[in-house]
Amino acid sequence: MLTKTFKRGVHPLHNMHEGKAATRDLPVREYVSDTVVISMAMNIGAPAKPCVKKGDHVDVGQVIGEAQGFMSVPVHASVSGEVVAVDSIPSLGAGNVQAVTIKNDFADTWVELHPLGSVEQVDPKLVIPAIQAAGITGMGGASFPTHVKLTFQQGATCDTIIVNGAECETHLTADYRLMLEHSTRIVDGLRAVMRALNVQKGVIGIEDNKPEAILAMEQACQGRAGVSVQPLKTKYPQGGEKQLIEAITGRQVPSGGLPIAAHVVVLNVGTCAAIADAVIEGKPLIQRICTVTGCVRKPSNLMVRIGTITEDIIGECGGYSETPGKIVFGGMMTGIAIPNDQMPVFKSSNGIVVLNEKQAKSKDESPCIHCGRCVAACPIGLNPYQIKVAADKSDFAAAEKLHVMDCILCGSCAYQCPSRRWLTPSFKFCKDHITAEAKAKAAAAAAKGGEKK
Amino acid sequence: MSLRISTAPHMHNPLTTSRLMQNVCIALMPTVLVGVYAFGFPALMVLAVSVASAVLAEFAWQKIAHQPVRVNDFSAILTGLILGLNLPSTAPWWMAMVGSAFAIIIVKQLFGGLGDNFLNPALAARAVLLASWPVHMAASAYVAPTFFQAGVDAVSAATPLSEPGSYTLLQRFLGQIPGTIGEVSKAAILIGFLFLVCTGTISWRIPVIMVSSVYVFTVLITGASFENALIATLSGGVLFGAVFMATDYVTSPIRPVAQIIYAVLIGLIIVLIRKFGNYPEGVTYGILLMNIFTPLIDRFLPQKIYGIQKKEAKKA
Amino acid sequence: MSEKKSLGKVFFNGIIPENPTFRLVLGTCPTLAVTSSALNGLGMGAAATFVLVCSNIAISLLRKFIPDQVRIPAFIVVICTFVTMVQLLMQAFLPSLYESLGIFIPLIVVNCIILARAEAFASKNGPLLSAADGLGMGVGFTLALTLIGSIRELIGGGSIFGINVLGASYEPMLLIVLASGGFLTFGLLLGVFNLIVKKIEKKNAAKEAQTA
Repeated sequence: MLTKTFKRGVHPLHNMHEGKAATRDLPVREYVSDTVVISMAMNIGAPAKPCVKKGDHVDVGQVIGEAQGFMSVPVHASVSGEVVAVDSIPSLGAGNVQAVTIKNDFADTWVELHPLGSVEQVDPKLVIPAIQAAGITGMGGASFPTHVKLTFQQGATCDTIIVNGAECETHLTADYRLMLEHSTRIVDGLRAVMRALNVQKGVIGIEDNKPEAILAMEQACQGRAGVSVQPLKTKYPQGGEKQLIEAITGRQVPSGGLPIAAHVVVLNVGTCAAIADAVIEGKPLIQRICTVTGCVRKPSNLMVRIGTITEDIIGECGGYSETPGKIVFGGMMTGIAIPNDQMPVFKSSNGIVVLNEKQAKSKDESPCIHCGRCVAACPIGLNPYQIKVAADKSDFAAAEKLHVMDCILCGSCAYQCPSRRWLTPSFKFCKDHITAEAKAKAAAAAAKGGEKK
Repeated sequence: MSLRISTAPHMHNPLTTSRLMQNVCIALMPTVLVGVYAFGFPALMVLAVSVASAVLAEFAWQKIAHQPVRVNDFSAILTGLILGLNLPSTAPWWMAMVGSAFAIIIVKQLFGGLGDNFLNPALAARAVLLASWPVHMAASAYVAPTFFQAGVDAVSAATPLSEPGSYTLLQRFLGQIPGTIGEVSKAAILIGFLFLVCTGTISWRIPVIMVSSVYVFTVLITGASFENALIATLSGGVLFGAVFMATDYVTSPIRPVAQIIYAVLIGLIIVLIRKFGNYPEGVTYGILLMNIFTPLIDRFLPQKIYGIQKKEAKKA
Repeated sequence: MSEKKSLGKVFFNGIIPENPTFRLVLGTCPTLAVTSSALNGLGMGAAATFVLVCSNIAISLLRKFIPDQVRIPAFIVVICTFVTMVQLLMQAFLPSLYESLGIFIPLIVVNCIILARAEAFASKNGPLLSAADGLGMGVGFTLALTLIGSIRELIGGGSIFGINVLGASYEPMLLIVLASGGFLTFGLLLGVFNLIVKKIEKKNAAKEAQTA
């Protein structure tokens, strides 16, 4: 098998099948809970605004949160039943967000759907509005509104759509199971986007530790125009957008630019499947596959409704097998630790990994010994140890000069560091600080410009 | 239920700093065993004193300076061990102590502790001892190993470097020659090298290139025959220095190309000192000099960053 | 220069607060080169002190007559005169010391302490104050050089002022009397001096805070 890849990178848990052994052979199981708490802020950009009130009856797929502007998507009810609360819950970032709590009546009555029909016959102009109406965001973790990704600025051209089936994160098998069980849907979604953008080439990139998925997707691609599968070397972060583009097309996204600058759009396999649902059946995004693993009695791949509470999901998986020390939404390399198990599942929650107390123990930083493992790991080619020195001194100008803004926060350097230095956290802090400063500067400049006029 | 919150990544490669240091200590064990076997009890004493005083000096300094005590990271033990192996077995105990204290306090801690020293502590200490007590450090202090000349007491012997013909290649390889405790047995050093490379502790680059560089430059500069050049390469501390001292993380470059430049230049300096210098051996100064150049090599080597074209990188 | 300066304060300024060797780090070339023994340090210090005091007085007296544009050459000529005197005197009466200090005696001419004091102090103050400043700086320099010399002689030779202190069984650490030993000793003493000054400043700050 001819595999492609990028430079450097790491192999976390390579001797343990990337931690995926527990769930990789388990078929997806459907799970619907009593109550769902649906957050209004599941995408990057403006949160949706709730448009139902306590006591309302909602059907599955009914819009309960309206999109606020272009950088926003609507939110839909994932179960039918009664709205019992519209209040705020803690978000994964800073502060609280609004959320709608629905008590499930298990009737599963759907709102009226408006399917567009077969992806090969659909009017290309209708595809992107349908994607926005279905509330689709990137399902690999970043939650970028998909319709925004597919709307280019004037002059930008796209010649390849890449579908990200690498799933390089540890422990997660959600995308893998999706590729095995819903391969046709993924290809349908890809074809729909290709038609909408008038692109002739679509490539599905899959790491070579998933040969069954490669086979299934190759079969699904047969007889479909312009789509193919590209096996990739198993290496983290193979599924990083920039790394995937480099591996498959040999092009690099210019520093500070979006993939479209390299004439490429990258979509997650889950996103493609959701697009297929939205186009063929007119169904909005109300459920997703989520890998539940780690210290749970029955690790599973669950098809859950958006808004299902973590505690219910853990219960469905047989409960905790050890006292949990940390619960991570996503994989171990980039996932987000949640404050408590009342957190609901989001559109981007591809996995829930429960760590025991020992695994959750924080490690003390010890002095950097300049071993160079971070440099050998960095997929971007940065010098993490130097940036960390600047970051420790809060010298943001120096950090910027060392290209901290090109860091993709993949965590490879921090994973490799024998001194357990908090490399990735400090780089994130640097990036956030520099971004905020630039924004403040731009705002101040704009205010000044306004005064002059 | 209390859950910990932290930023990603949530797991680490099990390799830690102290584990890496332990690996090097383990890799040194064959050398230590052969050294003690060859030179007997005095060698063991020298090693014990240098290790103990290195650890003590580190502990004392960290206590006095109100720093967290990190003696258990094995770095002081390693420094003491490497220094001890760099001494002849006849070295007086107080010299080992002074050397260890100098290595830990002046070379390492005064410059900021582990990771911030600009010279390899053990090597810098060796240079200091060599300049301070040449009688105890230079070839006059070397004795022939006792185990292959049964019954012969510690006799002063000329360094094998000055008399290339006096020992066979096999004797040099196995360690049947006079020298410091650590440098006599090339076989033991090679076992350590293989261990370090197999455990991923060091890369093969610096040792292999440095030794080859010594060989090539010996042929080119001194005009020695291929066999004599091999003898010169297997003599003195070249192999020990290449495997255990030139590869010190803190004082060697990080990027592969930088490592190659570093290793080649060490080889060149060694041969130049051997040929033109006052000292018979140049490993110490070769490595120390390149230690000083390490930050420069690391800094001025162009860096390829994803998404940044060469011209842009130059502008920045 | 409206502020009135007491002779004592000017004198002590050179010994600790602005010690030329440890605080101003001036004249490091002879500091490193001749301090291989305590006697050398003392001799060098005394010679420099003599030149400092004399040149400070002379320059202070001449300060109104020296045109600003040519002051540096003028200072150097004055300093040269005294250095030549020292050199000839030493050659006549202390030939062994003269031998061991060698080139560093004539080089006092370009010692930056002397030029710096001429420029910064003597050319702006009266002869009495200038003499006190020269003496203070000179004594500070002498003390520093003697200290470094003593330490280097003790470790590198086992003796102080030629008198064996550490006994016959002591094996001297040769490195310390070599050039690199000079750097090492000087550097370490600089660090110690900084540490002491910092502690004193901290104490003073604490006292001030209390009184305030």
